[in-house]
Amino acid sequence: MKLRLALPCLGLLFALPALQSATTIIRGPYLQSAAPTSMVVRWRTDFAESSIVNYGTERAQLTSSAKAEGISAEHIVQLTGLKPGTKYFYSVGPAAAKVPETIKAKTETTKATAEVEDAPGRAAINTFTTPPPVGPAAPMRFWVLGDPGTKNAVQAAVRDAYYNFTGTRATDFWLILGDNAYPDGTDSDYQKAIFEVYPKTLATSPLWPALGNHDGKSANSITQSGVYYDIFTLPTRAQAGGVASGTEAYYSFDYANAHFVCLDSHDSDRSPDGAMLQWLKADLAATSRDWIIAYFHHPPYTKGTHDSDKDTDSGARMNDMRAVFLPVLEQGGVDLILTGHSHVYERSWLLDGHYGKSPTFDATQHVKQKVTGRADGDGVYRKPRARTPHFGDINIVTGSAGHAASATKPPALNHPAFYLAINEAGSTVVDITGLKLDVVFLNDKGEKRDWFTIVKE
Amino acid sequence: MLALVLIGLSGLSTRAHPEIEDAVARINAQIAAAPGEAALYLERGELYARHEDWIAAEANYLRADELSPHLPRLAMLRGALSLATGHATEAKTHLDQALTRTPDDLEALILRARTHATLGARDAARLDYDAALARASAPAPDLFLERAALLPADAAIRSLDEGIARLGSVVTLHLRALALEESLGRIDAAAARLDRLAAESERRESWLKRRGDLLARAGRVAEARAAYSAALAAIESLPEWLRAAPDTVKLTAELARFGGTRP
Ligand SMILES: [Fe+2]
Repeated sequence: MKLRLALPCLGLLFALPALQSATTIIRGPYLQSAAPTSMVVRWRTDFAESSIVNYGTERAQLTSSAKAEGISAEHIVQLTGLKPGTKYFYSVGPAAAKVPETIKAKTETTKATAEVEDAPGRAAINTFTTPPPVGPAAPMRFWVLGDPGTKNAVQAAVRDAYYNFTGTRATDFWLILGDNAYPDGTDSDYQKAIFEVYPKTLATSPLWPALGNHDGKSANSITQSGVYYDIFTLPTRAQAGGVASGTEAYYSFDYANAHFVCLDSHDSDRSPDGAMLQWLKADLAATSRDWIIAYFHHPPYTKGTHDSDKDTDSGARMNDMRAVFLPVLEQGGVDLILTGHSHVYERSWLLDGHYGKSPTFDATQHVKQKVTGRADGDGVYRKPRARTPHFGDINIVTGSAGHAASATKPPALNHPAFYLAINEAGSTVVDITGLKLDVVFLNDKGEKRDWFTIVKE
Repeated sequence: MLALVLIGLSGLSTRAHPEIEDAVARINAQIAAAPGEAALYLERGELYARHEDWIAAEANYLRADELSPHLPRLAMLRGALSLATGHATEAKTHLDQALTRTPDDLEALILRARTHATLGARDAARLDYDAALARASAPAPDLFLERAALLPADAAIRSLDEGIARLGSVVTLHLRALALEESLGRIDAAAARLDRLAAESERRESWLKRRGDLLARAGRVAEARAAYSAALAAIESLPEWLRAAPDTVKLTAELARFGGTRP
């Protein structure tokens, strides 16, 4: 990316009061690679300048600061030495250094504080909460969006339905499952499809993305270059838990008692002796978390806007994820698999061992618990706490966070692996409280269209 | 042949690729408005190639080539297609051309390294991998693995360790290095690597078990037993619910059978 430098202005810049800065934040701030004691804060300005984050646990006392080397318009600052499970206030940009004083001067009235908070650009104070210590249970809510980035009214409606649903309950982090920015995953696609659509969530909740085929048009996994890799800062050295993958294309992280695994179903080698599968085996073997959740773009099963039975569909990627990766995930004791690509919502029974095409699906063999998973219905799914290979997992295709139901080409929605398949826009919300995992699919009208629970005991 | 090309060009198989239907339709409309615009055929060909519809992709590349043989990326993409479809010699011609025009094209360099490797030209492949790894700011671990496959065991281990130094303690690079170290009889080096992996892991027991297996294969029975005992000690330190996991129970039984003793 070309950075515009505004060197002659720099001296002046530092002298300016916070609210009259010469540069404007044109992207972010957004939060990346969250770990209990560290957080990456990123943002973009229209001109290059220093990268500084001021932060603290009191709004009026942003007494700590972190700085990246040099000047840039693309700012990446890592905060370290943070306290786990702690709420922090922060502001970004060189002029942010002035913010504490500005606030001090104004905090006498709450109105003045609100003015500062609401002011555009760098003076805004945002908050994030660091992940709790890894291992012990802590309640978490994460929001899951597949194929969100259409930039249309449906995307906004799905977003607003979730905001209404969650209300004041914070989103601890969120996952986007690929095809994050249509049509080509370019920088301007991302600007309009992600940064301009979810500014509040980006500034307050760490985002964990996966690569989809549309993102792949402007990115290359073998060189880890292109827009997706430029925009996101993801752990390659197990900075947030798990085993080092050496690449941002696939990675893992821990949050409290849950382990999350992101795979690159689009552009990394998917062969059985490829690096991604070897890493996955080692990563799953090394975790001690209660829950294992995997997410990636191409679904192992779908009869939505894609057909996982067709090898010609998506270059057989769905086939690879089912035949090559699913056995390893299930051997590793995965609980939940979240995918997109197919612009529908499909949710399986508690399954194990179905690695072929849909005609080979045999409910007596592959459905481990034939209940709907609902406490208010025929009962929740129950699994032993100790990781048990092949005890069953739920597969969810949730690829309609930016796509309205297709009326002209209604999808078949008849894959036998699924308990429920619906052609509606929406997103998925997951709550984990200790040994209980609750999932809700919320449509664009705010209706709960699916829900289920897995309990470990 | 012409008919085939025309069928390919007109997107015979869009219906098999629902995810590119919209994009193809968009480019089709652009081509209808500007049928002489080579870049549009290139874009359409790339779309097909990403979905492994090689016939449609090639037809579009050929058309682009007719209209503008020096179009940027065209030679690289044709090289990629030739390599993917098993025509390595053709791939080399295209990729040589691509790199003559754009010597900094990292993608072309990696593709040519793979092409050389496919053709059995190990030295040429290694040189291209060296250049690609020197140029890439964030190379995927695969590139280190691919280069290691071309090198004698000793040099391959050094190459993998270079990857580890650059990318971090990447388990896939360690696993390959471990196999090579054992093949060279460098048991101490492999054991030290396993110690590092154990120290970095929350589940030390599986790496210590591997350490024991390695030493047992090398006939170092007492040390193997010590490693198995260390693995059992690591299991003892796990929380009860993890010790009770079926794979841990199985591992515990195996370690005891191999002579490991509990602390
Ligand atoms: Fe997709």
